[in-house]
Amino acid sequence: MIVQEAKIMENLFNIELKVINMGLEGFAETLKERGTDVMHVRWQPPAMGDDDLLNLLDKLK
Amino acid sequence: MYVKSHILKNTFRDSVYLMRLSSTIREFDGVIEAESIVGTDHNKKFLRSGGLWTEEIEKDAGANDMIIAVKAENEEKAEQAIQSALDELNKQVDRENLLGDFVPRTFETALQNFSGANIALLSIPGRHVRREADKVLDAGLHLMIFSDNVSLEDEIALKQKALEKDLLVMGPDCGTAIINGTPLAFANEVRQGKIGVVAAAGTGLQEVSSLVNNFGEGISQGIGTGGRDVKAAVGGVTMVQGLKALLNDSGTEVIVIISKPPDTEVTEKVLDIAAESKKPVVVNFLGGDLDQVRAAGCEPAETLKEAAQKAVNILRKKDADSGDAALKADQKLAGSEKGRFKKGQKYLRALYSGGTLAYETLILLQDKIGPVYTNLSYEYAETIEDVYKSRVNTVIDFGEDEFTQGRLHPMIDPSLRNSRIIEEAKDPETAVVMLDLVLGYNAHPDPAGSALEAIKEAKEITVQEGRHLSFVTTVCGTDEDIQVRSEQVAKLEKEGVLVFQSNADAAVFVAELLSK
Repeated sequence: MIVQEAKIMENLFNIELKVINMGLEGFAETLKERGTDVMHVRWQPPAMGDDDLLNLLDKLK
Repeated sequence: MYVKSHILKNTFRDSVYLMRLSSTIREFDGVIEAESIVGTDHNKKFLRSGGLWTEEIEKDAGANDMIIAVKAENEEKAEQAIQSALDELNKQVDRENLLGDFVPRTFETALQNFSGANIALLSIPGRHVRREADKVLDAGLHLMIFSDNVSLEDEIALKQKALEKDLLVMGPDCGTAIINGTPLAFANEVRQGKIGVVAAAGTGLQEVSSLVNNFGEGISQGIGTGGRDVKAAVGGVTMVQGLKALLNDSGTEVIVIISKPPDTEVTEKVLDIAAESKKPVVVNFLGGDLDQVRAAGCEPAETLKEAAQKAVNILRKKDADSGDAALKADQKLAGSEKGRFKKGQKYLRALYSGGTLAYETLILLQDKIGPVYTNLSYEYAETIEDVYKSRVNTVIDFGEDEFTQGRLHPMIDPSLRNSRIIEEAKDPETAVVMLDLVLGYNAHPDPAGSALEAIKEAKEITVQEGRHLSFVTTVCGTDEDIQVRSEQVAKLEKEGVLVFQSNADAAVFVAELLSK
């Protein structure tokens, strides 16, 4: 187990963060202003937020 | 009265942006009510029921469009407000340049164009999280989920998947984290250092990391788990991963664990690992069993401040209890405040924006000032029936769902809490109004300034009626935060507001002030 978590340490704790931000733009902006490497995704609900269509898409999956 | 709308075809803005714009428009001259909102069927029903309805909305607005709807005193004011709203939107377009020329619409496109990405931050509606989070984990990225309303089933599935892939899932409902010195979401700007924190309590992590900074040390990592992680159903997956990762991290010398008391099996799991640790571990299970922590060879802390202070002491090779670890109320100050109350002024009205801070106050006031009513779930406090009306001693967390549906969190928009400050001042039985001001990234740019507008109005009311109202506050943050803690404190103190170093200090002072 300890070995597994050591991996988290290696690939997250000892590197420069590169962040993909999905949702609130403010989070990406503050990271950018602070000099963090970030790419913002202007995420939109799939099927234009139409619940019926979304349920249908889920069934098709 | 005149209602006017403007439809922006194929325009999408996130919910926080839209709510901010709505409140900005409501402040414009002559505006009675306003909304900027996405044109989904649900939202259109909402506009119709709120009297913000036009033929244009009926005919032209669809789920891909953004609607600005304004009710104003007359047509001219309505038109002016719409125009000003559009100007605000254009300002936003300028700001977007900050994000670069390329803003993808999907995770897949982002990944293709951003090689070496190692973590994703999700703040999309909860019901869509699973779909996107699965993609993130499949691509081998760590994940922080800010969103709430993610089902328990989805949380369990995502965390199990992450475990298999040696990835970390912080959240859902994880408001703050600090990874490699980078503050994510609602975090404070703190010095990098040797104290690592794992927290299932958002403002708990903000308070401890800020205090560690203010005591002169720094944070190696601040891992948020989300509150539900420590429930038996989830099994503390992230807390255990985080703790083990900190144990292996050469940059971390002292570990702090913060959480409301986890379910029994999670407590045991976490303490078993901590017991074998060669690194010192300070544990604050808010209101939890101190002896159980001690038996595991860990250092128990009763408050967030004590957790920060003990971690700093241990790091500096001092006795954990030395210095300022124990809390003592300033009796002289309490005495002089007490002397200014009029007969009949006897109750506390604590109006919080940080859930963990409110919870800590409930613990510290237990059995000290008589019954306390609250909208939080705490077994030794009474449940308040009407969250909009205080009763006897009351502690309200304005960050709870009942206050944030369709509204911004009080750390971003304190207007609801500000109105409540004034309401409490009108009650002749109110003696103390207690507030937390939480600084940091993405929070209000000037929480003290905003609170002071209400405090000044409240004081006018009480002065007219010959009463003295005591304002007791804590400012959670650092001088490196964009709001600059010392400037916020100075602003409050100038107006006679009592400011304490930590939430625990403020609560202990209130207990002294209102003790019978």
